[in-house]
Amino acid sequence: MRPINEMREVVVAGIGITKWGFYEDKECYDFGSEAILNALGDANIEWKDIQAVFHGNCYGGVGSGHQCVKEIGLTGIPIVNVENACSSASSAFRLAYQEVAAEIYDVVLAFGTEKTQRGPIPSTAFRPWELKLGFNFQPGNYANDTVEYMKETGATVEDFSMVTVKNRKNASLNPNARFQKPVTLEEVMNSRMVAKPLHLLHCCPLGDGAAAAILCSRDKLRSKNKVITVAASVLTSGVYGEQYIPADMRKSLKFAPREGLVELSAKQAYEISGYGPGDMDVVQAYDTMTPSELWDIEELGLCKRGEAPHLLQEGVFDIGGRIPVNTDGGLMGRSHPMGATALGQIYEIVLQLRGEAGLRQIEGAKIGLAHAMGAGPNSSVTILKR
Amino acid sequence: MVTSDKKRIPIKEGLWTIPTSPQEEPQLIGSKCPSCGEIFFPKKEKGLCVHCQRTGLEDIKLSRRGKITSFTVIMQPPGGGFYRGPAPYAYGCVDLPEGVRVETLFTGCDSDELQVGMDVELVIEKLGEDDEGNEIIAYKFKPIKK
Repeated sequence: MRPINEMREVVVAGIGITKWGFYEDKECYDFGSEAILNALGDANIEWKDIQAVFHGNCYGGVGSGHQCVKEIGLTGIPIVNVENACSSASSAFRLAYQEVAAEIYDVVLAFGTEKTQRGPIPSTAFRPWELKLGFNFQPGNYANDTVEYMKETGATVEDFSMVTVKNRKNASLNPNARFQKPVTLEEVMNSRMVAKPLHLLHCCPLGDGAAAAILCSRDKLRSKNKVITVAASVLTSGVYGEQYIPADMRKSLKFAPREGLVELSAKQAYEISGYGPGDMDVVQAYDTMTPSELWDIEELGLCKRGEAPHLLQEGVFDIGGRIPVNTDGGLMGRSHPMGATALGQIYEIVLQLRGEAGLRQIEGAKIGLAHAMGAGPNSSVTILKR
Repeated sequence: MVTSDKKRIPIKEGLWTIPTSPQEEPQLIGSKCPSCGEIFFPKKEKGLCVHCQRTGLEDIKLSRRGKITSFTVIMQPPGGGFYRGPAPYAYGCVDLPEGVRVETLFTGCDSDELQVGMDVELVIEKLGEDDEGNEIIAYKFKPIKK
């Protein structure tokens, strides 16, 4: 990969989002077009100035991005739909970034949408015989990985219950989050068992929604917003022998990798951007199940293996802490429209770096990181700077 | 008897051996790479090693006993309707002595008895029934009673 300073600088022209929740009377094209229009307004850019579109979605069917764009107007530009599980929107963002960095286009839109079904996702990223064995229950798959994490690090159910408490508190400060009400530790611990040791309030809720970002070269900027630059946009998809049961991968006992998928994607992002984990003022980690936020923080290099539960208790990951994590409520509080989630994370980092995050603002935030996992597996790391 | 038209259908052909005598017991069928030594379950039908990309993998019968490395107990059936077994149900991972980790359902005990590190052994048994009333047969592991 070429170092980022050998390519054209790419900046965030504008961002848009919808309020995430369950909407029986709306479809993807409703959310998607709303997020795009919000981003155009934020960027002060006309629709006719957009030169290419990349759209992340998982379950929306054929041409789901085209359906959204049709609500605004077809102009003959390329529209590409990207399905990359829960990294779909960051994969779309990365493609948009590359088109501008490589000077193919100057102004490109990335957006993500999802209208999710109700109840657990019937993930089909498994072989037919595994589906028959009931191995496609993602809380159960994370529960298996959680058992190993607890054994290795000594983390407890109470530890990852505190992640829920933190993220739901942050969500209460985010008007676009699905959940506006904080929860107590007791409520989390007493919520019904879903997949031992995970209770309902350790599992991220689904939701419907969309998020968008317009990327451009610096000379095309039209808004008065603070200028946010893409410092790295990395995607890695699978490392042989690593265990990640949600993506149907069990550890190789003979050839386990020295470096896992998240470590690899984070290392690449740090190298490309020239920053290290210690430079991050705000982080969006992947809390699809709350224990995964803890091991994600560790694998991103923000602390050592097994340290995250202890640091969480000290408040290090709170708004106002040394490394605020999931300031918008994360997947737990914001909810998880799969194809939109990763751009929702990027949206929050942009807001924080611009100083527009309201009650949850991190004072003086200049550099931020967003990380999304996904079945496949995928791991995408985006670093933005002011 | 009216059960003669009901069939026993495995979740997938070729996952385990079919005993040909009462002395024999079923075993899971894996693949071994003659180049790097990696072992896979289930067997790689294309004969290609996904670790070193060489071909010529050989079928091997895997040990019937192993140790639990992780497990969960699912309280509701997963979405999609693919799973036709009971709920709650328990599944997780078992390490076999050859050096391969197998994902499996657990049976033969109360789910509260399951523990990481527990010795378990293979059983082939009914998982549920399909729409025609045929028995769906699966591999599972159960604790070895001491």
